[in-house]
Amino acid sequence: MNARGLRRYVDDLLRGRRPKPFRPDDFEAAQIRTAIDLQAARLGSDAPREEFLTDLRQRLAAQASGTSQPVGKPGATRRHVIVGTSAAAAAAVAAVSIDRTVIGGGQVADGYDNGSGELTPNTGRWTRVAASAEVPEGVMHPFDLGSVVGFVRRVDGKPEAVSGVCTHQGCRLWFDAPDDRLRCPCHSTSFSPAGQVLTHQLPIAPKPLPTLMVREQGGAIEVFVPPRPNEPA
Amino acid sequence: MTAHGESVDPRPLRVVRDGGYPDWEAVYQDNATWVYRTIFARVGNRADAEDLTAEVFLAALRPMRLTASVGEVRAYLRATARTVLAAHWRETLGREITSIDDDIEQPPESEEAISTAPQRVAEVLERLPDNYRGILELRFLQGRSIKESAAELGVSVANAKVLQHRALRLAAQVNEKDET
Repeated sequence: MNARGLRRYVDDLLRGRRPKPFRPDDFEAAQIRTAIDLQAARLGSDAPREEFLTDLRQRLAAQASGTSQPVGKPGATRRHVIVGTSAAAAAAVAAVSIDRTVIGGGQVADGYDNGSGELTPNTGRWTRVAASAEVPEGVMHPFDLGSVVGFVRRVDGKPEAVSGVCTHQGCRLWFDAPDDRLRCPCHSTSFSPAGQVLTHQLPIAPKPLPTLMVREQGGAIEVFVPPRPNEPA
Repeated sequence: MTAHGESVDPRPLRVVRDGGYPDWEAVYQDNATWVYRTIFARVGNRADAEDLTAEVFLAALRPMRLTASVGEVRAYLRATARTVLAAHWRETLGREITSIDDDIEQPPESEEAISTAPQRVAEVLERLPDNYRGILELRFLQGRSIKESAAELGVSVANAKVLQHRALRLAAQVNEKDET
């Protein structure tokens, strides 16, 4: 019990001051939670100040150009110093999955590891996956070549193909035609016919589906794939 | 059948782009407001919300120096905010008061993901006696002083303080009951 600590905390919230630390019990914690909700429900209370946004932009610019002084700048609180490390460490962990992305400045990012954007086997062969007539515009045609499963479709007359395996944990996708999307049975992830992630429920978005090299020749659509697992290359 | 690199058309089949960010500044401009609002909804005051927002971006943009897709960047910023907020509560009150869910159906920049406080507050207030609801509305939702609120409710300042204290207790009980 710490009635005074709680009163002061709520009072600080109401006055828009930084509340002071104390050690609340369960019920005091619940009251703080409710007070925070009430504060947050005030119309327009949660718009960031323009000065703050500008100031932070400058600090980020300084950090980006390597001239940052994370500590000691006016406005840096004690907590910055303490938490700075743990947050950075945690962020580094969270960043692992997107850290590899290398995109030059100015270029519009497609945002993904370019290396896996297209499946290009070391050795492979053009393999027929469908007759041209089987893939009219608007149809998602599935194929299973043993080493690779995927879908081909036609976009502006040209064939395109994506992998049919979810980039999260490898579950096999199915095409939900009414919704025009590929769905993963494992974690409700869905992909557009082009392979972009449309919905997911994961902390970090899974990568888009790799595309496959595809061509149309002699009335057939062919995909460049590695040999079947049980065949020599 | 040709199976050699040369004969293979190397033209990359480009994935349709969802318009990623050209640089960190664009990441910041596009996301600063929802990150701030997400945090504000969970700390209830500007000073902490500003500090924690700054921490999120300073921590996140360092390893992120090159950008990912918009969706990935946002998921990542939200994950970083979750970590920063958890550390904040550990250090100030020694326990978790509020948190940022990692399991959301809506995108992080949507109102539902930023804050559900208005809906929750409305539900709680509805279940309070009139004078309790009145004092909380005046003090919190309208930001009126204790003196103004007392005058509005026709009670003394001392009474208004007691009323506010009790109203918050009851609201917290109602709120917690809803959660469990």
